[in-house]
Amino acid sequence: MRPWLGTLARLGLGAAFLIAGSLKIGDLAASGRAVAAYRLLPYDVAAAVGAAQPFVEIALGALLVLGVATRFSAIIAALLLVAFLIGIGSAWARGLRIDCGCFSRGGDLTGDQQPRYASEVVRDIALLVVAGFLVAFPRTRFAIDEKLEAGTW
Amino acid sequence: MVTQRSALARRQRRTLWTIVIAVVVLVVAAIVGFSVYNSQRSKTVATPKGTVNDGGTDSGLAVAGTGPVRVEIYLDFLCPACKAFETTAAATFDQLVSDNKITLIWHTLGFLDSRSTTHYSTRSAAAAGCASDFGQLKAYGNALFAAQPPEGSAGLSADQLIDLGGPAGLNSPAFAACVRDQKYKDWVGRVTNDAARRGVNATPTLFINGKETTVNTIDDLKAAINAAS
Repeated sequence: MRPWLGTLARLGLGAAFLIAGSLKIGDLAASGRAVAAYRLLPYDVAAAVGAAQPFVEIALGALLVLGVATRFSAIIAALLLVAFLIGIGSAWARGLRIDCGCFSRGGDLTGDQQPRYASEVVRDIALLVVAGFLVAFPRTRFAIDEKLEAGTW
Repeated sequence: MVTQRSALARRQRRTLWTIVIAVVVLVVAAIVGFSVYNSQRSKTVATPKGTVNDGGTDSGLAVAGTGPVRVEIYLDFLCPACKAFETTAAATFDQLVSDNKITLIWHTLGFLDSRSTTHYSTRSAAAAGCASDFGQLKAYGNALFAAQPPEGSAGLSADQLIDLGGPAGLNSPAFAACVRDQKYKDWVGRVTNDAARRGVNATPTLFINGKETTVNTIDDLKAAINAAS
């Protein structure tokens, strides 16, 4: 049972990172601006991190889907998710409005749009739980790790 | 016993190797990302006529006025809140310009490209740059807001963007070519990045004499400008 759960976890987590990276990779400048919006890094550093992020996410997703160094990849995934959660939490606490692009605060000059902090936090915590499961139980089916283990490569 | 220990040693070596490979893959990915970003960055960019402070991070397009108080608006033509702001504040800004109180500057951003299937934010901002070349930024900008498409849509086509210039006197083939070729696309990218550098994450954002100012009503706006006079 557990190897099958683990396989689902591995493939699901990998798919999540692949999708996240693919959505951003078409506009690296926007990805950089998104990181800069959290105001945790100087702009140029944030822009560089934002540009590298989609590539790293896709690479990590591929490693997970293929099942290469599963426990290590799951640890990296967990660390990234913790970093995202800290960023979102920090922005939420400071009342920053991230991922809006278009906003105002009431009054006759304005319209309104709420940032989607809560749903992002829930999503990242769920992925963190999945990553944690994989760190604890990294033996799964259909993984390159296992093929190496069985000596069939 | 010996067999078990060497089997364990083999497994640990294999695990170590897969980890090394994973690390290399991730580091290479980061380096590739950074290189692509760098190569995209270093381009000289065509800037529209009417650009003020070219080269500075607060470089923008002059809209109207030569008054002492410098009013800058960061806006996106796809943004409903910006349309509301412009519509509500237009009369006030016109008055302040004719009273020679303010110099009005726009930063036309491509912020909301992700909310359009055709990067309409950037396309419309670039078209506005073309209008500025012919001295019709304000009229064309107003036309863009009046014809604002809904978020999530494909936005106006290139032909529609060109036709919008008609009533503002933008009838020349040069204007049409500028819009169709998206001559100022890279410039919009630079303006948008400069906005992020200046800490602007959302639109509309207002700066009065270089200071970010929040206003919720017309009275707030007038008071803020009077305070800066």
